[in-house]
Amino acid sequence: MSAVSTATGPIASEDPRRERKWRRRSLVALAILLPLTLAETCYDSLREWLHGEDLIARDVDFGQSAPFGGSDWKLADLRGGKAGRLPDHAFAVIATFTVTIGDPNLQKQWLGCKLMLTDAAGRRWLPDFISGVSLPAGLMTCTSAIFSGAKRGDVLTIGDTFIVPEDAIKTIRPAVGLGSERPWYLRFQRPPK
Amino acid sequence: MRIRILGNLVILASTVALSYGMQVSKPHYADLTAPIPVDGAMHDTVRARSFDVRLDKVVFARQLKTNQFGQEKSLTTSGLWAVVSTNLTATAASTTIADGTWQGPTGLRYRQTERLGYRQDMPPHGVDPGLEKRGLFVFEIPSDQIRGASLLISARQFGPLDAQARISLDGLPTGADGQPADVLPQYDLDAPQAQPPQGKS
Repeated sequence: MSAVSTATGPIASEDPRRERKWRRRSLVALAILLPLTLAETCYDSLREWLHGEDLIARDVDFGQSAPFGGSDWKLADLRGGKAGRLPDHAFAVIATFTVTIGDPNLQKQWLGCKLMLTDAAGRRWLPDFISGVSLPAGLMTCTSAIFSGAKRGDVLTIGDTFIVPEDAIKTIRPAVGLGSERPWYLRFQRPPK
Repeated sequence: MRIRILGNLVILASTVALSYGMQVSKPHYADLTAPIPVDGAMHDTVRARSFDVRLDKVVFARQLKTNQFGQEKSLTTSGLWAVVSTNLTATAASTTIADGTWQGPTGLRYRQTERLGYRQDMPPHGVDPGLEKRGLFVFEIPSDQIRGASLLISARQFGPLDAQARISLDGLPTGADGQPADVLPQYDLDAPQAQPPQGKS
């Protein structure tokens, strides 16, 4: 009995110290683990969001070509005017790109291909159907190009029609976004007048 | 020692009570991620996240006349047809506005009709920044769901945490019985808009 009581003495005095030590360790672990858990749960959503948005522009001078989605993209032409049935204060714009195919697996590289027009205020226009305006002969849209069976070295003319308000027409710049390159997208300088 | 045990028991009991309270008062996931309403009135421009909408006109009719695949059709209802004309614009990027809901005074929700099939002036409305577009939303509603109703418009039917324009329809003229003041016997969806619809009852 006396042996037991002498043995518990030092252990009892050590216990609160050990307990405090472990409590402190647990608090530190919590401070590290909580942000890590949050980061882990957000990672997939964040990655999916980044790969679905055209966020960071890569500027390309007019006349220059830039490698994008395994092919070389170059702005061929940008022209606007009144054509077809348009709303008031709106213009029809046709943007045309010359694309030299590098990687012919377009269904993978060009998935989610998006031709756009952007203006100085950061607004974006997607292609529109304009009644009374058809694409020039030989011009194909991005989606039809994906299924065209183009081979390495082929040169495609890709373009689309847009409806743009009058106040944006002076600053619009054509841009291209591809699923394999997002969040980066190409933004081209306008052709000189 | 006894005080410490008692103290621990109190902490445990309050933790259990707090956890239980949090569990029973936890909002449903659908409520947590519900669309965020942006309130407005008729004829005001309501600015949602990706689009602006202005409610111009609501016409009530007992029958709708429409042209489907070259055939003229007359659609009847036991309630009323509400044809809502809106003016739509995208804010920053071209987008589509697909969802319209008529919310009655008691909270009953009526989705836009699917009886009309595809029409260019019906949702989904493709809209561009800086370009105004007329867009229709057509509902089939009981006549007692008009006074105190509101119109909910959002880009998508299930848009968690996205903005939803909530336009109060208090400005609609109604009689003492809550019925709309003007109900047309028939409304022709294909009639030119400049001409006022004929045949008021």
